[in-house]
Parts: sequence; structure tokens; C-alpha cells
Amino acid sequence: MANESAGSMGLTSALLVAMALPAAAQDFDWRAHEGETVTFLANSNPLGQLLIAHKDEFEALTGINLVVDSYQEQQMRQRLMTVMNARSDEVDVFMTLPSREGMQFATAGWYKDLNPYLEGAVAPDYDAGGLAEALVDAATFDGQFIGVPLNIEGPLLYYRTDVFEECGLQPPSALQELPEISAALKECSDLTPFASRGLAAAVPYTFAGFMHNMGGSYMVDGQSAMCSEPVKAAITLYSDLLKEHGPPGVVNYSFQQLTALYRAGRSAMSFESSNEFSGIMEGGERMEDTAIMPLPPGPGGSHPTVIGWALSISAHSRNPDAAWYFLQWASSPQMQAKFALEGIAPPREAVAESAEYNAWLGESPVRQQWHDALAELARTGTSEIGFPIVGNPESRQYIGDAVGSVLLGTATVDQACATADAALNELIARD
Amino acid sequence: MNVNREHRGQMAAMSMPALVFTVAMIAFPIIYTIWMSFQTYSSTGQVIGWGGDNYSRMVADDRFWNGIWVTIYLYVLSLVMQLVLGTGLALLLFRARRLPGIMRSLFISPFMMPPVVAGMMWLVILDPSLGAANWILTSLGLPPSSWLASPAIVVPVLAMIDTWQWTPYVALIVLGGLQSLPPSVYEAAEIDGAPRHKVFWRITLPLLLPTLVTAMVLRSVDLLRFFDLIYITTQGGPSDRSMTLNIYGFRIGFEFFQLGYASALMITLSIMVLGAVIALNRLRAAVEW
Repeated sequence: MANESAGSMGLTSALLVAMALPAAAQDFDWRAHEGETVTFLANSNPLGQLLIAHKDEFEALTGINLVVDSYQEQQMRQRLMTVMNARSDEVDVFMTLPSREGMQFATAGWYKDLNPYLEGAVAPDYDAGGLAEALVDAATFDGQFIGVPLNIEGPLLYYRTDVFEECGLQPPSALQELPEISAALKECSDLTPFASRGLAAAVPYTFAGFMHNMGGSYMVDGQSAMCSEPVKAAITLYSDLLKEHGPPGVVNYSFQQLTALYRAGRSAMSFESSNEFSGIMEGGERMEDTAIMPLPPGPGGSHPTVIGWALSISAHSRNPDAAWYFLQWASSPQMQAKFALEGIAPPREAVAESAEYNAWLGESPVRQQWHDALAELARTGTSEIGFPIVGNPESRQYIGDAVGSVLLGTATVDQACATADAALNELIARD
Repeated sequence: MNVNREHRGQMAAMSMPALVFTVAMIAFPIIYTIWMSFQTYSSTGQVIGWGGDNYSRMVADDRFWNGIWVTIYLYVLSLVMQLVLGTGLALLLFRARRLPGIMRSLFISPFMMPPVVAGMMWLVILDPSLGAANWILTSLGLPPSSWLASPAIVVPVLAMIDTWQWTPYVALIVLGGLQSLPPSVYEAAEIDGAPRHKVFWRITLPLLLPTLVTAMVLRSVDLLRFFDLIYITTQGGPSDRSMTLNIYGFRIGFEFFQLGYASALMITLSIMVLGAVIALNRLRAAVEW
């Protein structure tokens, strides 16, 4: 994307300046904003919950009063959009997905550019240069660095080793093997062979990997390419898999249902977020009989989806300096090391290589597989879940609708892609 | 006369702040929404045009007409079920005068529950893989259902949940109406030896009509702006089959940030609600006794 090259240059220079300013770091005082208040709008996903759980440590360290406003992802965004549209200062810091709303919010001017903060009050041990470059680039728009990365995540294939063994099956080595393996699982086991997201708005997160691995691309020459052969093949493969081998009611499935189904031992393969690792392993039942891998490659190679949540300061914040302290604390090597031990994949290589984290990974093969799969995502992945346009969030709905209508049998793949193309080209033209 | 005039003037002056505040609170959001409905916004919330584009887009939008259809379908289905069952429940409660208080409380408990909680509860019960509903069906040897994930039955299932929640409310209103009916007409019917079903159809129901229309008005306003239950359970899916106009407008406005188009949709919905209320109020005036 155009924003990435320009952005990375701007950010790289900012990081260099930040690292070349030891004097500012030496003057740094965690209690410089003691007694001030910062309001944090959080997503109540596992990452947001961890930030909230460690809130007291931040308050004890800085003396800053952290007011938390926590919602589920969709409600959090709706509240944020209301607050931002009203140019309200109610929110100082918020969680954001640069891959989804980054371009839209940056164009609207809702993010505070963090480059000047990286050049100012930075803790000596913050190590801004240690943040994953790919995630930093993904959070950079027109040279503005809009959010510090908090994690790295993507959809992974969780599968039951005991069931595969019982059925004499090997894990898929290619995307096209999934229907055959699912059919074999259906024959020899009572479990749902394959589960993934079916809820229209949530589908692109898991579908994008299928689309890229089949050799597709959402846009070609500035136009929607939903009716290109690779994308149509991906729509057919994904929806047929769920229609023939997915759980009943999969059309309403998002991560909550997938986690509940897999944790309860009712699905043999589940393609879902790496962030759900701790939720799936809750209770320990799946710890011994699960293996994890990235989505297998397809005719177009291997281009798994990889994204990361970030923490941003509102452009309307009246207390951005204190808010920056919260961002630093949450993305510091120390805190990210703590989060890593709770199943949040760290966006810092140094944390991923730490002895403590590696000891935690070594306690169970499935943890190591989870980490290795994420490392591959970081190496080869793409964050293109929706269309690379300002209206990215809206584009996801049309992608999900196309998959959903084929899944429900209300349209053929040609009808579904044509409907999507029409809506998406209109959206591209509008923005 | 002069004193009266002076007194009236004082009253008007004293009530003016409250009056201005109330009118402003009601009028401002409506006027503001109408104004927004004539503006076109970009995906970043910037105004990029002005005029009637949102309304012409609405007429050509299949999802708008789908929203109108789903709203009306859900409204009629829920209202009929709630009126029939609510009247039945009220008659039961009216006759069972010695029903313990705890039983009466249990009957009316669903509508005390916040719709979001009710939605979450039914979402768990109706989960096709892990829910209790399919467990019961399969235990009885019946095929499982996709419930809220089935395009064919999603609206009836939503109407069923809403009926479960709001029938007791209708029953309470009808029970109030039953308790206010004049006993003399029933005594006369008893003397004439009228059978029970005739007493119901010829006396009770006609006399209850004003109460039933009141219940219809109250439920109509809620049902036409049906939101929370759908938002929690299906978000308008599967395949837009439960996408009421209200849910559609909300998603357009707060997820896709097309505030102008969302405003046009909400103005249309408001006109629908207003029209229904005016029609039902006229009906109430016609059946008043």
C-alpha cells in the first residue's frame, strides 16, 4: 500500500530521532503526570481484559488515574465513532485495528500522531525500535504513526490430533485437501469436521486467507475483483466447506461460538483467531489433544492473515501527554512479557526470545506450535482482510454477504460475486 | 377577571422554561436528523453533498425494501401472538383469583428482564450445536433446527422470543380492562342463560376492545422500532432476513458511517411509527364505549 512506504520512512526517521535522544530518556519521570486522569476505551477481548487486569500496576507506577470504559468490539467502535464525530474529549486512549479502520480514522483525523511523542518523553528502557517493523508500518498512514502495537494475531487452524489419529488422517498440507479431509472426518467421527466464521461481518477475517492462498486479490486496477476466478474459487471452497462440513447455524458464527464449540470437544478442526488460544485451552481439556498450524498453502502460495491491535491517542484528547504514558506502559517490553505468558503473542522480538517466555512455551507442545504458527504469519502474512480503501469496514460486509449467500444457497457464486462487485465498486468510487 | 388574567400570565411565565426545554429536547433531534438526511457524508464523516440523494438512493435500495418488509412481518406476527396469548393469560389470571402472588409474579417476570439479557439467554438456548432447544428436540426423536440461523424461520423465532417476553405485559393491561368491566352485564347474561363462549364473544371481547387497542398502541411503538433483541441475536442475519429498518439504519450509521443515509432511513421509520400510532388512536376513538 502507498501509505506503507511513505509511512515507514517517516516512522523510521522518528524512531531514529527517538533513539538518538538519550537526554530526553534520562529526564524521563514516570510520575510526571501524577494526579491526572486518562480515559481508556477498551475492547473486552482477551487483550483488553489483560490491560484492565493490570490497571492497578499502571496507576501505582505513574499516579495517573485510569478510567476504563470497556465494551465488546463492535459496541466499542460504535461508541468511539459517536465520540469522535462529536469531537468529544471523553476518550483519551482507545484500542484500534489499523488493518481495519486505520485508513478511515487517519483520513478523518481522529488519531494523534505519535511521532512527536517518540521524540519526547520516552522511558529509557522502552525500546521503540524493538516493536515489530511490519506492525509499525501497518500503523503508519501518510507518515503519521497512529498506534503502538500491542500484539500480533491471525487465524490459525486448530485441530484434534486424537481424532485425526483415530481416523488415520494427516493434517492438510494444501488448502484443496480440506474438503476431502473434512469428508473423511465426517465418516469416522461425530464431531463437526470443520468450523470457521460464518457471520457476514466477521467472515473476512478467516476468508481472506483462503482468498489469498487461492491466488486472489480483492482489487485489480482499482476495481473490485470479487468475480475473478481465484476469488470465486475461494468463495466456493470456503462456503462449501462450511455448508457440507460446518456446524449447524454456522451462518451466525463468530469467534465466541467457535471457541465454545472447539473447547467443548465438538469440532475436529477450527479455523480461528490466535487470540482465542487461552480461551480454547481454558480448563486444560484441549491442551493435550490439539495441534495448531497456519492455513495450508493453496495454488497461490501461502499468504496467511496477520494483524495486530494497537493503542492510540484520540486527536480530541485534552490530556495526550498523560495518555502517552499509558501507551508506553502498555507496550513496554516488561508489560508485553507479562501479556505473553497469558497467551497474547508479543509484537516484540526480544520478548519472544526471552527465557521466561520460552520456558512457558516449552511447557506444552501446543504452545510452541501456536508460537511457531504465529512466527510464520509474521514472516509471510498480509493484513489485507478487507479492501485497501477508506471504506474498509464497509467493504467487509459485502465480502461477508457474498460468502454468506453462497453458504445459505440463496445465490450462486456468480450472482453473489456480481452483487458484491457492484456494491464494492460503488464504495470505491464514493471514497 | 383581571386577577384571573394576571394569574394566567404568571402561570404561563413560570411554565415557560419547562415548556421551552421540553419542546427543544423533542424538536431539536428531529430537526437535526431531518437536516442530516439531506446531507451526503463520506466514509470519514465529512459532508460531501447536499440534496435529496439519500431519499432517491433509498427508493432504489433493495435492502431498504427488505427492511420495510421484515419490520412489518415481525410487527404483525408478534402483535397478533401477543394479543391472542395476552388476552388468554389475562382471562386465566382473572378467573384464578386465588392464584398465589408468587405465581402471578412468575407469570409477569419475563418483561421485567432487560431485552439484552433475554436475548443472550435465548441465544444460548437456541444455539444449534450446544443449546438446550435442539437437545430437547433430538431427545424426543425430532430433527434439530437451525433456529436463528435459518433464513426461513428467523423472523418467527424472533417473534416467539418477543412474545415470550411481552405477552405478560399485554396480559396485565388486559387484566386491568377485565377488572373494570361492569358486572351488571354479566349478571344479565347469567339470568338469560347465555353460554360461556357467547358471553366471551358477544360481551367480554367488545367491551375489551378499547383496552386491546391501547395495548396495541403501546406494543406497536416498540415493535416497529424492534432493535435490541435482533442486535444481540442475529444482527440482521442470516442473509438480511431479520434486518429490520431500525437495525439497517443503525448499521449504516454507526458501522459504515453514512450518517445522511442513516438519517433518511430513520426519518422514514419515524413516519411509519407515527402513522401507525395515529391510525390506532383513531381506531381507539372508534371503539370507545
